[in-house]
Parts: sequence; C-alpha cells; structure tokens
Amino acid sequence: MVELKNVNVHYKDGAKNGVDALHDINLRINDGEFVFIVGDSGAGKSTMLKLLTREIVPTNGRVFVNGYNLSKMRSRKIPYFRRSLGMIFQDFRLIPDLTVYENVAFVLRVTDKSNKYIRQRVPYVLNLVKLADKAKAKPTQLSGGEQQRVAIARAFATDPGLIIADEPTGNIDPKLSYEIVELLKDINKCGTTILMVTHEHDLVQYFGGRIINLSKGSIAFDDYIGGEDEGE
Amino acid sequence: MRGSNFSYLVKQGVVSVWHNRLMSFASFCIIMVSLLLISLAALLAADINVVIGTAEDKNEILVYVDDADDAKIVRIEEALKNNGYTAQVVFYPKEEALEAKKEELKEYADLLDALKDNPMPDTFRVTIKDISQIDEAKRTFETIDGVSEVSAPYDFASVLVSLKTTLGIIGGAMLIALVAVCIVIVYNASRTSVFARRKEIGIMKMVGATNSFIKLPFFIEGMFIGILAGAVSWFLTKIAYEALISFFAGDLTIWKVLGLSNVIPFSDVIWYLLAFNCAGGAILSAIGTIFSMGKHLKV
Repeated sequence: MVELKNVNVHYKDGAKNGVDALHDINLRINDGEFVFIVGDSGAGKSTMLKLLTREIVPTNGRVFVNGYNLSKMRSRKIPYFRRSLGMIFQDFRLIPDLTVYENVAFVLRVTDKSNKYIRQRVPYVLNLVKLADKAKAKPTQLSGGEQQRVAIARAFATDPGLIIADEPTGNIDPKLSYEIVELLKDINKCGTTILMVTHEHDLVQYFGGRIINLSKGSIAFDDYIGGEDEGE
Repeated sequence: MRGSNFSYLVKQGVVSVWHNRLMSFASFCIIMVSLLLISLAALLAADINVVIGTAEDKNEILVYVDDADDAKIVRIEEALKNNGYTAQVVFYPKEEALEAKKEELKEYADLLDALKDNPMPDTFRVTIKDISQIDEAKRTFETIDGVSEVSAPYDFASVLVSLKTTLGIIGGAMLIALVAVCIVIVYNASRTSVFARRKEIGIMKMVGATNSFIKLPFFIEGMFIGILAGAVSWFLTKIAYEALISFFAGDLTIWKVLGLSNVIPFSDVIWYLLAFNCAGGAILSAIGTIFSMGKHLKV
C-alpha cells in the first residue's frame, strides 16, 4: 500500500524563493492496483517517485510505502525498504558487464537469497518475460524492448509488493510499448501493485484504469477511466 | 550474509582487479616500491642497532693509575663507582697487566722479563651505562685525583650514536612520506574504480544493497592488490638485502671494522617480514579505499 498524507516538497536550490515541487498531496493506492501517473514535464512526477523510493523526504507530511514510514526512516533501514520494491527505469539501468541471467540474479544476491533459490527463480522470471533463450547475452546485445523486459524480470525477481515503473516505454519502439504494459498488467494479475509513470496518453487511453494526473505539483485528476482494450 | 554471496563478492573484487588493470597496476607498483623501501630501511636500521649494540658491549673506559698505594686505589675505585655513568668497575693490578702483556707478546716475553720495574700501570676497566655519555664520563674520570690517563673509544661510539639518530630521523620521515604517498595513490585508484562503476553502484543502491555489500568488492580489490604488492616487495627485499650483505661481506676489513659480523641474516626475519609486508599492503589499501568511497554511497 502507498499512502501520502498532506505531502509538500519544497526545493530551495536556485530560485529566489525556491520551488514547490509537490503541494498538499493526499493519495492512497491499495494493494493490487495498477495506477498510471501522468503529467507534463515539471508537474512533480519525478519528485513523487523520489519520495516513494526514499531518495528524498517530504518537507511536510507523511509518506507510507509497503508498511514503512518513509518520513521517519533511518538511513540504514533504506536498503531493506527498497528490497520491498521493484524498480523499472526509462534507461533500463542494467549492468553492462553482466549477462541477462546475472543481472536478474544480482538483485537476488543483494537480498541475500541462496544459490539454490537463485538457480530456480532466475529461469522462472526470464521465462515469464520470454527471454529464457537470451540468458547468456549481454544487455548491449539486446534490443531496447528486450532490455526493458530484462529490467522487468529483475524488478519482479524478488516478488515485491510494489513495482514502480518510471517511463518504462520512453526509450523503446512505440509498437513494443504495448507489449511492455501488457507484461506489467500480467504481473499485476499476480497481485503486485504497479505504479507506472508515463507521458504517453495513447497508452493510458488504450489500457485505462486508475489515472492520477499531476499538474504544477498538485493532483488535478484521480479517477478510473475505461480502456479501449477492455472491449477487445 | 550467506557464504555463497560472500564468495560471490570476493570473486567480483578479484575480477575487478583485471577490469581496472591500469589503476590496479599503478597501485600495485607504488605499494610494492614503498614496502620495499620501508622493509629495507627497517632491516638496515635493525642492523645498525645490532652494530651499535656490539659497540655498546665494548663501551669500556680504561682508567690508568700511576704509583698508587692500596688506600689510593680504594679511593679511586670508590670515585669511579659513585657517579651516574658507571655500570661496572673491574680493577687490574699492574702485575696482572704485565702477565697479560707477556701472554700477548709471547715471542718477546724475555724482553719484558729483563725489565727491572714493571712498566704497566694499575688499570680500572670501567663499563659505562650509556655509550652516548662516554665523552662526559671520560672527562669526569680525568678529574679524579690520582688518575694519570683515561682512554675511551668515544670517537667511534659518537659516530655510531649520531648515525643511529640521523638514520632514525631520515627513516621516520621516509616512512611517513611513503605511507602518505601510498594512501593518496590507492585513494585515487579506488576513486577511479568507484567513479567508473558509479552507475552500477547507483543500481545496487536502488535495488536495496547495503553499504557493506557495495563496499566489500572494492575492499577485496584493494586488499588483493595490497597483499600481492606486499609479497612481491618481500621477495625483492630478500634479493636486495642479500645482495647488499654479500657486497659488504666481500671486503672483510670494512666488515670487521664496522662490526658488521653481527648483521641480521634474512633467514632470521623471513616470515616476520612476509607477514609485515602483506599486512602493510592490505592496511594501506584498506585505508585508501575507505576514504575514497563515501560520496558515491549517498544515493
């Protein structure tokens, strides 16, 4: 579960009076939901993601994610909180020296899983994203879409309660974007909460569901819309 | 942390030595040369101490007394004993001195027998506590009433003492400079390695790696280089030290005059020095690594 209560984020850097990146945000996302977060550049999407991954703390208000109170979290607890999340980035952020298999196994090593578990889990998630045959390839040998599927496999490998996807379709062929979202939808059906930040309105309208629209640091719209794929 | 994951991180550390081979080689060379100089300096300092120790064993002042009766001998002996410099006083009457001389000059013993009077003086052999005070002790003994002459090997002793002090200062300064250079070089090498892998570190932080999980491979990398440099420097120290010793041993006169017959054989310190060099390399690397990582861990 994700909950933001009266959250404000004020950046002091640069401008004379600073910048209000987020203003009085109240938000609750229940377990198992699939939520799109949309908004123009500078609307506060990145700031919200930084709050949810505990890269920053709010100036005021409280942030709860997966049962952790991020506003009061000590630095040494942050790694353990992040293990309860899966992260997917626009630029994939795969380790180039490691193979596809090793990239996925890496996150399991970080969470101190046994070799036996890693040997079972990695082929399972690679099979899920249809990349079992590319296990020994390096990220640079894969297409953008394939690299993002590896990133999804990595995010899902630890079976997190929440996956945060930051513009996951931003760097890939528009046709493949639908496949990526389909994959996230499939993971969501397993009970994982998905929070996907995007500025691709076509995708949002196609898939529908809960949409949160941020504008100038505030929530301008938070409701459910019907998707085109529901009729198909 | 599980053993399997620990061994994975150790392997990553060793592999990254090869990945960052240029900086690894730079670190290796500087640590190796520094440890070579430090261990050679330490060995030579120990040798000098041994030589000075040999000289200190002979820190004997001879105090000669002419025509003294028993009462005067006792008074002089008291005066020699009751001062801050003396460790031991042994009296040799002139009869014993003559016998000793006869023993020494066996072929000319007849000539000495022909002498009417014994030309040898009564002698006190005074062992002093601290060789660096030999000059002051000599001057003090000369003022004692009835003493005709005082003989002390203070020139050699003072040279050794000043040599020991000078080498101590130079060695200490060199040690500090080498350690500082080592740490700076390892710090920069480690920073380069960390900088090259900053994205990887960022990914590690985002997926929940603890600082110790991230640091461990860098530590292993640094310590691997440090221990390897320590082992190689130990081997080169052995070659250089043995070459130095055999070079000096070639000229036996200098060897004996300098008292170097008591020099420390490398075989006596072989394992201590190996442990010292390897531990030194590992510690220098560890310090350099600790200082270099801080900023990149704040994600």
